[in-house]
Amino acid sequence: MIDKFKAKFVEEAQDNVRDLEEALLLLEEDLGNRDIIERIFRAMHSLKGGGAMFGFNDLSDFTHHLETIFDLIRNDKLKADQDIISLTFNSIDHIKFILETGNLESEEDKKEQANLIKEISKYTSETHPPQTETVKEDGVPDVVQDRSKTYLITLMPDAEILKNGTNLLFLLDDLHALGEAVTVSNYDKVPVLQELDPVKNYCSWQVILNTKEPLNEIKDVFIFVEDECEIEIAEISEGNVLSHPKLKELVEEAVTQEKVLKKEDLLNIDFDGQKEAKAAASKKKNIFKDHKISSIRVASNKIDDLVNLVSEMVTIQAQLTLYAENSGDPAIVALSENIQKLSRQLRDNAFEISLIPIQNELMRFQRLVRDLSKEMNKEIDFIIEGGEIELDKNIIENLTDPLLHILRNSVDHGIEMPDERIKAGKSPKGTIVFKAFYSGANVIIKIQDDGKGIDPDVIRQKAIERGLISKDIDLSKKEILDLVFLSGFTTRTEVSDISGRGVGMDVVKRKINSIRGEVSIESEIGQGTILTLEIPLTLSIIDGLLVTVAENQYVIPISNIEKIYSIEDVKISSSFNNIATIEDQQYSFLNLREIFEEEDISIDDSQLILVKYEDKKVGVIVDNVIGEYQTVVKPLGRFLKKLENISGASIMGDGTISLVIDTNRLIYYNDIQKYKNVK
Amino acid sequence: MAKTVLIVDDSESIREVVNFTLQNEGYEVLVGIDGEDALKFLDGRTIDIVITDLHMPNLDGLGLIRKIREMDAYKHIPILFLTTESQTAKKMEAKQAGATGWIIKPFVPAKLLSAISRVLR
Repeated sequence: MIDKFKAKFVEEAQDNVRDLEEALLLLEEDLGNRDIIERIFRAMHSLKGGGAMFGFNDLSDFTHHLETIFDLIRNDKLKADQDIISLTFNSIDHIKFILETGNLESEEDKKEQANLIKEISKYTSETHPPQTETVKEDGVPDVVQDRSKTYLITLMPDAEILKNGTNLLFLLDDLHALGEAVTVSNYDKVPVLQELDPVKNYCSWQVILNTKEPLNEIKDVFIFVEDECEIEIAEISEGNVLSHPKLKELVEEAVTQEKVLKKEDLLNIDFDGQKEAKAAASKKKNIFKDHKISSIRVASNKIDDLVNLVSEMVTIQAQLTLYAENSGDPAIVALSENIQKLSRQLRDNAFEISLIPIQNELMRFQRLVRDLSKEMNKEIDFIIEGGEIELDKNIIENLTDPLLHILRNSVDHGIEMPDERIKAGKSPKGTIVFKAFYSGANVIIKIQDDGKGIDPDVIRQKAIERGLISKDIDLSKKEILDLVFLSGFTTRTEVSDISGRGVGMDVVKRKINSIRGEVSIESEIGQGTILTLEIPLTLSIIDGLLVTVAENQYVIPISNIEKIYSIEDVKISSSFNNIATIEDQQYSFLNLREIFEEEDISIDDSQLILVKYEDKKVGVIVDNVIGEYQTVVKPLGRFLKKLENISGASIMGDGTISLVIDTNRLIYYNDIQKYKNVK
Repeated sequence: MAKTVLIVDDSESIREVVNFTLQNEGYEVLVGIDGEDALKFLDGRTIDIVITDLHMPNLDGLGLIRKIREMDAYKHIPILFLTTESQTAKKMEAKQAGATGWIIKPFVPAKLLSAISRVLR
């Protein structure tokens, strides 16, 4: 099977082995302890099952023998003693060896395995010989029979069969799928309505089936139900005799008179005269069952290449659109419109391909929380919601480290020790909730713990100590909490080896920002902390709104835009404080001419774009809105990376460059500026 | 509407393979790491099929199957169990507990899917 899973299996198998060793040591102290024996058996069982699935056949085979011993112990047929434990330890070493090297190649290793198995079977063969489990391959049909047969299949299910979730109609469908079939239903046991129990089965069926499939295929249909049904499969003739007049007559009779078809009656029909002709006429279906491949696996760099190519194409297509518009040639305009449509679809498609569910990473998080909490003797429930949410794989890659860090923080600093929690009147078991959901073109990830929360006074104190803020500055609680994202900030005096790896929240923030995401923190003392990450679905291509400010073109991501107003519809209530009234609502606004330091900052003839910012809406004033524009965002490069308002650049169809405005940072940064000015 | 599958297994690699296979087929997949853990999903939401291992810590497969059959919302959904034992005893026990069918480990994805398609359409 797939290598990725194989590596995972080895990882997990090593855990199993560790668990096994630990349990064996415990067993040595307490030879009769059933829980421990059960635990050993389970670990071996996982090794065996997984080994076979992931191609470690030697491992699976070997563990099977070993497991047999413990199955005997478990069933009181054998008593655990020191010898068995020593043998098991030796065997574990061998298992470790297999896990490292894969299947055994050298004769020597094989001999060693054979020796161990021999020793093991000393214990097992006394009671019963070890069964070797054969790995059954998927049903490759036997040589396709060139002649079909006709069977009478009688199916009489028990009354209770529906209670374990069986759908009997599926069985009939499956039979019909094997070839050509006629079904006779028998309802004579169905009681009157008052006595009818809807969860009971009262029906039975008879199917006359003509099929080229071997008898086993038919039996296979009933594999799950054979114990709850009376099933009779009888061959009534070679070839397809379904349209034989005598058979039709019998079927007709059975249906109209609610009779059961008798095998003998069918067998007595003289089909011979008809056979040859019918066999030839019988449809040649099902010989080659179509084999559909519903998904393929592709190396991820191929997908990166695809996405890159598509981005380039989107850029070129923009050039084409511009050229077509300027040329005025209707033929080329039509062509370019079609190309535009196609490239949009192609873009969406390529984009979708590169999405993977965060679920894949969640296993690691779960594991981290489990391991850490064990290590620190904390009890933690880790709850995951929205694992099915999909994100660009590049984003997920960049997201994993920050998320691991945040979770580490939650476990280490957030959740208290059980006795502390009890003292605080909380359940001794802490909870960390990981929740992901879509919000527009973004994904929001919330990590919430019910731990001790963050004390703003402590943060403030530390920030002052570290010279990050001055002593007399007056900050809101949110602003104080935001200080944890500043570089050089760690609240713990001693560095613990869990979250204090020299990586602070500033790195988390930087990483998140680097994928155009935002991170924010809320916390309530004694109640817990919530970290909220807002992440774009994809990095490279965005739907933007092309606007002009003075001579220059800018792109604003559509995902941030709420509404666009012409300035005539906007009442500027206070030009000093930049407050506008739109449709009876007040909004603060930013004038981009002012921010970009254009000479003329008048806003007559302008447009106001209402953008989302955290839970508020803020107006952004631009000169002109040109239109929607699909754009490939290119990074600005090293020297311009620090620009607060701009997240990237995009090449326009005519070769000019337009800057992509990051409205979140634009507003955040200018808010701070203003705030500083007021102070 | 995508069908929802609840898979329950204490082995991460098995979970991943099953999860991967099913998601590729377009199923919605819920993942429980043992019987106890799986119960949290059985809150009345639509679950079309449960696939569970038998040997698990906390609450084992048989226990889980019995619990599911006690819940009105899931009384009649198909339940498949994963087993390496080809022994009939274990199978009978699981069927008695209310399982619909089984999948024998090791299995290839096609076998998993065909087993599901036997009981869920």
